[in-house]
Parts: sequence; C-alpha cells; structure tokens
Amino acid sequence: MTTLSVVGQSVTRRDLPEKLTGQAKYSADLKLPGMLYGHILRSPHPHANIVSIDTGAAAQVPGVLAIITPFDVPRRPVAPIAADTLPLDTRVRFVGDEVAAVAAVDDDAARRALSLLRVEYETLPFYTDADAALAPDAVPIHPGGNLAINPPLSIGRGDVAQGFAEADLVMEETYQIACHSATPMEPRAALASWEGDNLTVWKSTRGVHVDQAALAQALDLPVNRVQIIGPFLGGGFGNKDESRMAAIAALLSQRAGQPVRIEFSREDEFIAGRTRHAGRIHLKVGAKRDGTITAIQGTSTLNTGAYAASGAGVARRAGQGIIYLYHCPNVRYESYLAYTNCPSAGSYRALGAPQGHFALETLMERIAEELGMDSLEFRLKNRVPPEGQPGPRLSPPEQIIDSQPIEGGIPFSSNGLEECLTRGAAAFGWATPLTQPADPTKRRGKGMSMMIYRGGPGSTSAATVSVAKSGRISLRSGLMDVGEGATTVLPQMTAEILGVNDTDVETVFGDSATTPEAPITAGSTATFSTGSALVRAAAEVRRQLLELAADGLEAPVMELDIRDGQVFVQADPERSMALTDVAARMDGDAITEEVTIEVPGSADYIVNSFGAHFAEVEVDTDTGRVRVVRYVAAQDSGRIMNPRMALNQVEGAISQMLGFALSEELVTDGPTGVTLNGSYLEHKSPTIMDYPDLQVIFADTVDPVGPLGAKGLGEVPCPGVAPAIANAVYDALGLRLTELPITPDRVIRGLGGA
Amino acid sequence: MAQRISLSVNGVSHERETPARRLLVDFLRYDLGLTGTKEGCSVGVCGACTVLVDGEMTASCITLAAAVDGSEITTIEGLAQDGRLHPVQQAFIDYGGFQCGICTPGQVMAAKALLEVNPHPTEAEIRDWMMGNLCRCTGYYKILESVVKAVGAGLDSGSDSGSDSGAGASQ
Repeated sequence: MTTLSVVGQSVTRRDLPEKLTGQAKYSADLKLPGMLYGHILRSPHPHANIVSIDTGAAAQVPGVLAIITPFDVPRRPVAPIAADTLPLDTRVRFVGDEVAAVAAVDDDAARRALSLLRVEYETLPFYTDADAALAPDAVPIHPGGNLAINPPLSIGRGDVAQGFAEADLVMEETYQIACHSATPMEPRAALASWEGDNLTVWKSTRGVHVDQAALAQALDLPVNRVQIIGPFLGGGFGNKDESRMAAIAALLSQRAGQPVRIEFSREDEFIAGRTRHAGRIHLKVGAKRDGTITAIQGTSTLNTGAYAASGAGVARRAGQGIIYLYHCPNVRYESYLAYTNCPSAGSYRALGAPQGHFALETLMERIAEELGMDSLEFRLKNRVPPEGQPGPRLSPPEQIIDSQPIEGGIPFSSNGLEECLTRGAAAFGWATPLTQPADPTKRRGKGMSMMIYRGGPGSTSAATVSVAKSGRISLRSGLMDVGEGATTVLPQMTAEILGVNDTDVETVFGDSATTPEAPITAGSTATFSTGSALVRAAAEVRRQLLELAADGLEAPVMELDIRDGQVFVQADPERSMALTDVAARMDGDAITEEVTIEVPGSADYIVNSFGAHFAEVEVDTDTGRVRVVRYVAAQDSGRIMNPRMALNQVEGAISQMLGFALSEELVTDGPTGVTLNGSYLEHKSPTIMDYPDLQVIFADTVDPVGPLGAKGLGEVPCPGVAPAIANAVYDALGLRLTELPITPDRVIRGLGGA
Repeated sequence: MAQRISLSVNGVSHERETPARRLLVDFLRYDLGLTGTKEGCSVGVCGACTVLVDGEMTASCITLAAAVDGSEITTIEGLAQDGRLHPVQQAFIDYGGFQCGICTPGQVMAAKALLEVNPHPTEAEIRDWMMGNLCRCTGYYKILESVVKAVGAGLDSGSDSGSDSGAGASQ
C-alpha cells in the first residue's frame, strides 16, 4: 500500500442523511411502551445533610409510580469514573445536587410530585473557593477531606533549584482561569428498562462499556446483565462519561416496573453536567540571556467542585505543556485538586491542557520580550525537538511509553512542531507589521502560541473485522461516535487495508452486548488506538483473502494486491478476481479477526500531537470588546484520514475555545453557593457573528507508529487558542491579562477604567 | 385545562385534545412523535427547535401549541419532497455543515426561512439571520458555507468566508 486510495479522501460522513431529515434518534427521542417520565429533585443548599424526606403527599399525586430517596436505594458508588458519587446520597454537596427522584406517567405529574416532597436538611458550612475548602479547619465535603488527590501530585525531572540558579532571568506570574461549561447542544438523557433481572439502558454516552461497568457496580448486578446502547450522541466534549443519571433512571424503573426516561433541562446540563475546572496556576521560568530555558516550575490549584469525576486526569494534563513543550532539563509540576461546593467539574475537551497552556504560553511570551527575542524565534529555539527532552529514560526498555511522559531520553515517533511554527507563521504573515485602524479606539495586535498534546495512545482498544462468504465486510467496535466521526473514519481505514470502497464496510458501534469492549471516546485516542486494532485485524483478514486468491489466480500471495474490490497480480493487473468471488472460496461462513491491543503506543517513542496558532485581534478600547479578526491554526496530527472531517474538528475546537478565551464563565455566587447563569442567555458562547477568518494547515507528518500514519486530533487545537489571543491582546494594548476569560470588563479594568 | 386544536404538520392534518399549556415542541415530539425538532435551551435562544409556522421562522420551545391552532407547520421531517432533499439539506451534506447533528434541524429550517424571504442573501445577511442558531461542535464555518452554497449566489472565496482558503489538508 504505497499509495492510499480511501484514506486521505474526504468521504462523506455516514450519518448525514438521518441527521438532516430528522430521522436520527438521540437518547431523548426514544420511547418505549409504558414509558414513564423521570424527574430529579435538586438541592437548594450548597452543602447539607438530608435528615429526612417525607414522600407521603408526593406519592398521592395521580400518575406517580415510583419515588426513590437516598434512604431507600443502595449506597454503592457509580464507579469507576465517579468513585466518590452515589446514585443518591444523604449528603448534598452543591446547589443542584441530586436529592430524590420521581417517575410518573407524564412530566406534569412528576413535577407536581417533586414539589410535594418534604425534605429536612441540616445545612453545613460551604466553600465555593478552592483555597477556602483547603483551609485546615474547613469542614470535609467528602470523608477523605477536601484534597481530592492526596498527597498532591508532584512530578518532574532534573533539579529546578539548580536550574533557577543557572538562570540570568527568572520571571513568575499567577494566572486565574474561570469555570466554563461544555454544554453540548444535546441535553443528556437516559432510558432504562428491565426485563426480569436484565437491565437495558439507552443513554447519551461516550463509552458504553464504562457505563456498563458503572451501572453493574452501582446496582450490584453482574456485568452481563447490563446492556448499554448508545444512540446518536449530540456532542460530548468530554461530558456524558458519567452514569449517575442512568443509575437513577434504572432505580426508578426497577421500582415502577416500567421503563423510565430522564432528560436534563438546559439548566440541569449547565449545573449538573460537568464543567471545566476553574483554577489558579503559578508559573516560574528561568532562562539564560541567549534564550536557553534552564528551569520551569508550575503549581496548579484546581476547583473540582462537588465530585472529582475526571479531576485527577485534569490536574495531570494541566501540567503536560509545562513539563514537556519546551526543551528544558529541570522541570517540576505540582497540583492541588480541591473539592468545593460548586457544580462538579469533570472532563471537558483537552482536560487541563488549556489552563496549563494559557499560563505557559503567556509567561514564555514575557520571557521572550524581556530577552529581546521575537516570539517565533524564541519558540523555534526552545520547542521540544524530535529527539525529546534531556535526561535519562527511566521506563524499562519494553514498557509502552505513556503519551504524557515526564522523563527525558525518549524521542518522538514524529514531531511536526517546527513545521507547524514555520508554515503557520508564513501563512499568517508573522513578519509583516500590522496596520492599525484609523479609528484610535480600535487597536490591533497579533499573538501566537504552540501546543503539545497526547497523540492517540489510549486505553485497551479492540476491533473486529470480518468478511463473510457472501463478500459482506463488517467492522465492529464498542466505541461511541461522539459527533467527531469515528463511524466514518474507522471503516475508511478498514477499506484502505482491504482494498475496497469505504461504503463497502458495514459497521456496528456502541452496543455493549454486540461489540468488543471499548474505552470512552476520549483523549483524542479513537483513531489511533481503535485504529491500531482494526489495522491489525484487517491486515490479517486481507492476508487470508490473498491466500484464497492466490489459489484462484495461481500466483504467489506476495505478488497480489487489492484495489476497488478486485484482487489482481501486480505485474499483470489483467489477472484479477473480484473480492466477492475470492470470499466465496472460503470454507467457513466468514473470516473474522478480533484484535485487542492492551496498551496502545510504542515502547521506543513518545506519540504526541502538536500545533502552532497565530491570532490577530482588534480591541475596542472604549468597550473593552476583543474581536478575533484572523486566525491561523497549524496542526501536526500525523496523516489526516479524512480532510473535511479533520477540518470540522479543528474549526469546531477553535470556535469552542473562543468562548473559553473571551466570553464563557459559569458563575457560582460565593455568599449563597447558587450558580447564577446556567443558560445560553447568560453563559455566552460564540455565535456565527463571532468567529474569525480561519486558515487551517496540517503538517505533512506521517507517523511511523500510528495506524496508517495517524495521530490524535480532536482536542489537540484547544490549548493554543486562549494564549494566542491573550498574547495578541497584549500586542494591541500593552496589557498583560492574567485572567480568563478576557471579557470586556477585564479589559477595561486592565486599561485603568472603572 | 385541555383544548382541542387542529394543525397541519408537513401537509398532514392533526386534530388533538391537548393541555392548554402544551408547548409546540412537546406537541410535535410527544404527541406526534416528530422527534426531528430538538429542544436545546427551552428559552428560545439557541434555535435548535426552529420550525416554520405558516412559513415564519418560529422557536417551538416558547410557542404554545394552542397559539398556532389552525396553522401550517413545517418541520425538518417535511422538507424533503418525494424522497428528494431540499437544496439546503443537500448543501449541508455536500459541504459538511455539521457533526453531532442536534442543531442541524434548526439551522436548516432557519436557512430555509431565510431563502423564502430573501432568495439571494449576502454572506453578512446570512450571518445576521443565523445568529440565533447556536452550534457547539462544528463552529459555523461549514454551516455558513453550506448556506452560501445553497443560495448559489456565487460569493467568491476572497470574501471573508475564509474558512476554506488554504484549508485543505496537505496530503
């Protein structure tokens, strides 16, 4: 396969017609006979013990068939992701936390019953701020105290004290990042139905097998009695990996003896969904006069809210840029993850990387300026090179290298960072001075950033590739397509190996009963990790097909190839057989290969993705409004499997992160603990009026480890957006803003206005 | 309090007894099973629930079903005619105007409503009209391009559409 015929083409997404005609069924669109409507009572207090719940009046409401409270459901955590979360608990930890639930024949009856539940609370001191929650005398929100990772994370290499001693220049700064909400367009929903002791749940999910494990754990069921089916998913962005809502639906359904569906409202989605961690990052960098960086030290304090969810991963990923993006022998990163009484933060696209990169890429800009170096020149000098970081490799030689390495001494499988910087800069015209508008209240500036991110190796991944005697080709994967397009790209990769058209590959995805076990679609790992499994499975199926064809064509396997569904002799393409005729020669009903890769990745190389971003902004000095005028994103994600869909991912990532950079902030009121703006009206996401002229460039990388040369993409552009914009705002105004988002009021205050 | 209403939805007449407070989005989704119309915000700001009421772009999540008694409603399910997609739908396929698909019915209905009143909108007019349709995953570039292409107004790539200029993956 020296030339590719299917991979690299912008084949059409598979799910387009259903989604465009209203036929695609999402979780909230499903209905079963006798289905009841589940509703959840939410806590009015930020922190309280539930003393009692009187269900008497609520139970009298006509049409109410089940009520569950924390006093009558099993106290088993919805692990593995939510190990600190029960389906319902006698302690509530934020305003909006789940208290009890009702199932009724319609929404009105269920809401009426909720209003009649009499709950007696014993309120407790509460904390919306991480520092307050971490104070020694703070009341513990969870039994283990308010430090959600204890002892705190501390990782690094070399000796930072020595590194700072060697530096000619040391600069440090503290950065504040606000909480914002992922708020995908689809509010999540779950439909639970029992048949005897067997539970089936259709839900908004990013990983059917993880939900299956969580529900089996929470409900004390054998795993094989729980089936999870993922219908179409209306955006996840890291959310929808939790199972609490599904556990509540299952418990209600069990009690009522009828199917129960629960849907979140938009406000539920904001408050009881998962947010991006607010936090503070203190960063210190030492450099020599020639620009060489001698030490980097960062400390993050992150607010994980009422439940930790994916907080440990967020804390870790916030440090990866700090410890690995710049070539440096001495680095250290520490993180304090605090429980508070805010809505729960969790995984949100790129986890902590956007927070960490904001601090890193704005402080590095100051270092460059102080040293009198151009931003691009400084980054070209200090970017982590293809051979990796200095220092010894500590992992044993046979160990698969983590995609978030700490140690030095390991090269990257591919590293297109330099290409991203140079091609991005050229496309942007970095060297060309900007022209200022004639209007003196409008100031323009340019800024840049670079980024490093996991390149695709994820959790244990599997794929099953099968060719039936009839010639039908199928791919099975437990993955969920979260909107990013795995259900199109993975069959595309299968088709490439088997020498057929992508539409010849039938697929089954996202059903825990009929697909091999899969991880969550997360961490930009699906194309790489599941792709690695399917490439091996498809290659084995191909080998067996070629053996069958070798008999028919009377030519050795080595001399055969497959293209457009025809097996042919390479030196004499006229000697060919249709693949369907080849399949007909098999003895059994099908050739089927299932491949599981326990630890995707490489023992010799780090697999990472990279990028460089360039932004031009215009700031209105009267109103403080920042408008991004022009943007160039250069990404290294290995070979691009489907250019149009890759473009969708990058454009979507940048548009979404414009909100993080400039406008989105979920505000929980300190004095009351109430979250004030759980609505699209007041949590301001970018609209079609806000996005800049955007040019996307993909580096010409073909990763030697990645399947068909691919690396991870979906989250990779996210970390670069806020620092590129913040650096451009500095260029426009001479104002270093250390808080996100860069709202008009922060700009005006920074400029010394009221 | 129940009320008897009669509506035509995608050319089919429906007469139903429904609570007076029934929202149009719930009437479509729950009572008629037309789940193509999505509820995204419940306060009329995200555009996911957009339908046409007598040809007018309408947020069905803040419209009472009883208030549109006697009207003709068009939903996403009613756009394709005789198995042929509406040009706006076709453009969304051809130019990749979406990913997860929840905002898509509303985007398509809004674009159709625009073309009814202004068959040849400029790009600025399209942006202005589509401002109330939120998308969280595709980022508007391909949505705008799809609508521009549906218009067939021949807006050249040198305008500030920008998205595709040089955007091709270098493979």
